[in-house]
Amino acid sequence: MRIPFYYTVIFALFGLVSCATDDDAGTVNDPTTVATPEMYSFVRDGESTVSFSGQTTRIQMAEEMLSVFLDFDTTTEDLLLNMLSNENSPFSDPSLNESDKNILSKIAASEDYFSGNTAGSATVRNQFESYITSVISEVYPNTEQAAAPGVPGQISDGSSTRFVNGKGLEYNQAFGKSMIGALMLDQALNNYLSSAVLDAGNNRENNTAKITEAEASYTTMEHKWDEAYGYVYGNAAMPENPNTTIGEDDSFLNKYVGRVNSDDDYNTIAQEIFDAFALGRAAIVANDYELRDAQAEIIRNRLSLVIAVRSIYYLQQAKTAIIAENYGTAFHDLSEAYGFIYSLQFTRNTATNAPYFDAAEVDVLLNNVQQAEGFWEVTPEILDAMSATIADRFGITVAEAGS
Amino acid sequence: MNIMLRSTLLFFCLFGLLSCATDESNTTTADDDSNPSAVDFDRSAMLEHWADALIIPGYDQWNTELTALQMAASDFTMNPTETSLRVVREQWITAYTMWQRVAMFEMGPAERSDLRLSVNSYPTNTSQIENHILEGGYDLTLPANRTAKGFPALDYLLNGIGTTDAERLAVYTGANGTAYQQYLSDVITDLNTLSNSVLTEWQNDYRTEFISNDGASATASTDRLVNDYIFYYEKFLRAGKMGIPLGVFTGTPEPQTLEAFYYPSLGNALFLEALDATQDFFNGTPFNGTGTGPSLASYLDTLNTVTNGATLSESINEQFVTARNAVMALETFKVEIEENDPPTTMLNAYDEVQALVPLLKVDMVSAMSIRIDYVDADGD
Repeated sequence: MRIPFYYTVIFALFGLVSCATDDDAGTVNDPTTVATPEMYSFVRDGESTVSFSGQTTRIQMAEEMLSVFLDFDTTTEDLLLNMLSNENSPFSDPSLNESDKNILSKIAASEDYFSGNTAGSATVRNQFESYITSVISEVYPNTEQAAAPGVPGQISDGSSTRFVNGKGLEYNQAFGKSMIGALMLDQALNNYLSSAVLDAGNNRENNTAKITEAEASYTTMEHKWDEAYGYVYGNAAMPENPNTTIGEDDSFLNKYVGRVNSDDDYNTIAQEIFDAFALGRAAIVANDYELRDAQAEIIRNRLSLVIAVRSIYYLQQAKTAIIAENYGTAFHDLSEAYGFIYSLQFTRNTATNAPYFDAAEVDVLLNNVQQAEGFWEVTPEILDAMSATIADRFGITVAEAGS
Repeated sequence: MNIMLRSTLLFFCLFGLLSCATDESNTTTADDDSNPSAVDFDRSAMLEHWADALIIPGYDQWNTELTALQMAASDFTMNPTETSLRVVREQWITAYTMWQRVAMFEMGPAERSDLRLSVNSYPTNTSQIENHILEGGYDLTLPANRTAKGFPALDYLLNGIGTTDAERLAVYTGANGTAYQQYLSDVITDLNTLSNSVLTEWQNDYRTEFISNDGASATASTDRLVNDYIFYYEKFLRAGKMGIPLGVFTGTPEPQTLEAFYYPSLGNALFLEALDATQDFFNGTPFNGTGTGPSLASYLDTLNTVTNGATLSESINEQFVTARNAVMALETFKVEIEENDPPTTMLNAYDEVQALVPLLKVDMVSAMSIRIDYVDADGD
């Protein structure tokens, strides 16, 4: 049953050869000629053609940022800002410092959404910088006091202690969950899976002729697709077979694909996403661009759904906690919801090629929970209304997503 | 055999009487929440019994023991000797043991004041404690200080800061002794403040609120306390006192997470007291008393729940006995875990403790049509 992938490639190439001699280019696009590989493992001339080290690096940078975000005794504003732009060797891992990559330049930087919208991009980047400056100025000086409406400080969430601003928001949660949309999702869905990127310049011609990049084993198109893959699976224990540890490999998109997949209502989503990535990549090898784009649509749809489901899930968890008067728990859930809702502006509705909620609509949603006293005055009714708004737009139900 | 048969018969006869009595006294009014089963059981009488015979007397006694602890500590700080230190320790043991009687009642005033985690978060954070003592200016009411106060902090302060009482006393009389004395006193004061406020609320308004909320819905007192009870049994008694130190969930034993870590022989005693308390609650055995009262056991018997030929209440009581016997046969938990790899005997005892979970969490609640309202959080 398990046929090593290179056989598939060989068969596919045979297909090509025979098609070419048939002089019937149409059969190349017959989807039945390309099978879904079980592994994301692609080889040419005995050499792997898969590469997404830049994505792995950025995920690890973001992980380290989260891990020090609340180190009140040692972390500074400069350190966090330097980590965002990878300047002045800010990371404890030397290989991250030596990398020429950074997070900031890839935030809200997709070809489809931001190449003609530098103002929008700047607004998003400012938001991330403001999470940093705000946590330093509002939360750090007030860690030894109890939080209250308008008063930043500590609040208990079960056995955990959370640190919130005057409106109840945990900046570290907002930062991390917003990153999922602005970096991972936006880059994957709206940049690397975009035909504007995959087919840029001579990419299609070169891929069809299997002309690889200089000193590389892959064609540019293959590499672009891999980079999208890397934003989901780049930190996986087994990157070629990542669903074995899905949800455990990072604190970002991978984690929440895993979380949504463990909801019985969505328990095939991780496999669907992986299969679409693998089949799309095989389609590129086989020069089947329609099949490739069909897989990109599946990925865009499913990964967007992950953001919606998690937004609703946390709103509903927060509702339960508010009813039980567990404010710390509620604020923690709301802080996660805040970041996921922020991330909605980077989702991709394949029917419109636009986000399910644009930046202005996201602002409207978030304003519901950022009135004068913020989370402190949020009601179950508000959270239900927000949940319904999101669920309706995605054509799902609050009940499915909320548990 | 004959005696057993006779007592079983007697039991059922009494049952007949009891259910007749409750049938007469319990009328279901239209605005009551729907009765969960065809059988009438007077939840209100059970709630009243819980409040008046178990919960309030339990908090009252605990509060008394904490007052005594405060006095012992005050004597110690006025005249620090090995003897007065030992008096503090003895009273700490008494109050800590008494806490096991009320730890399961985390609803209403206790839930609002985050009592359980404020009183008994372990392992305690010794560097946090030492830091507070060194720097002063701490606020023990802050959530982050829950790991630097309560009984586990006292365990460290009374037992962990030296290997002999002479060494420990030297800390309290040494260069920074006043700060240690102050911290000891502050931790005990914090415990007293918490116990006072919870007891007072129960004695004032909350008792009535608790008893009158006698319907059958997710927010009714019975449903909530039964949930809290099972949650406590599963997470704090089973997992906290045994499972986590044994490494049941991670595969790595962690003896440093044991309750009363610096006074190892107490750990088993605290566990057994807590187990007794959960069984007494199940049977409605009054605080410091004997016998039974309106309770989960009598509720089950009214519902006539039978599994494998025995009534469910009998099966549950038998499993309590089995679990207790298994734990009583153990060396101190610390020795069991540190000197056996794997700690098979204690793991076997843990399995007997665990065996109560499905009986309570599945069989009992389904008979009572009570929904379990907690799920394992998904970890973030």
